[in-house]
Amino acid sequence: MSVVAFERKSATGAWSESELNTIVAALNAALGPAKGREWETGATESGDAQFYLLDSLPDQACELCVSRIGGRYILEDGSGRLLFEHRSLPLVAQHARAAVSSRSWSLVARLVLLSFTVRHTIQEKVEPLLIEGEELLVHVAPQLAIFA
Amino acid sequence: MKRAKQQDVFTGRSPGQAVPEARQLRKLAGDWLKLRRADAELSQADLAARLGLKYYTFISQVENGFSRVPTEIMGAWANELGIEQGAFAKHLLMYYEPELHRLLFGAESK
Repeated sequence: MSVVAFERKSATGAWSESELNTIVAALNAALGPAKGREWETGATESGDAQFYLLDSLPDQACELCVSRIGGRYILEDGSGRLLFEHRSLPLVAQHARAAVSSRSWSLVARLVLLSFTVRHTIQEKVEPLLIEGEELLVHVAPQLAIFA
Repeated sequence: MKRAKQQDVFTGRSPGQAVPEARQLRKLAGDWLKLRRADAELSQADLAARLGLKYYTFISQVENGFSRVPTEIMGAWANELGIEQGAFAKHLLMYYEPELHRLLFGAESK
């Protein structure tokens, strides 16, 4: 009789290779060389496995953290906000991927908003000065022409 | 108090690449916080419960040097460790914002 060896899910201790592969595969797009992100693993003092997605240089602060406590996977952001928790790692990994993309879009939205603010400020403050200068020129030019 | 267990550290960093200074300083802050928590005879789970956190994973995140103590819970964190809030914030600033700490308190002040 042959026995098929199924890989057991780790309930405690370090990440198994298959668990790490699941998380890294889900975050693959966020981990590309152009993004500058890295990841590391660690553990709580009770030995619960943790996976940290780190922001780009120079700060390399934790953006997201996946932890395994017992058979439950916990997804938190770098400020300790609980984003999602479930017994299914693939599901938690999908939520991690969504959280990273929403953070990226939030950054893009902030940059767009900043560019609109800068443009609006220029229109409000600088353009009236230019118009004022033009008006002054219109008034002064005929008088200058007399002396020409 | 529970003691940390050893775990192999896996990383997505290229071999030979140096750990940036900001991370090294956060790790020093984390080590200091871990010592102060040990002095207060609290486990990570105890501290998390007292800070109103559902899980103790964030305490570990901070003590392992991957995150900072958020400003909004810095006072409560100090209270639970039995440290005066101002002294706690000042000490953490030395690791989290060393240049700002130097400007505010000078190079000698710790």
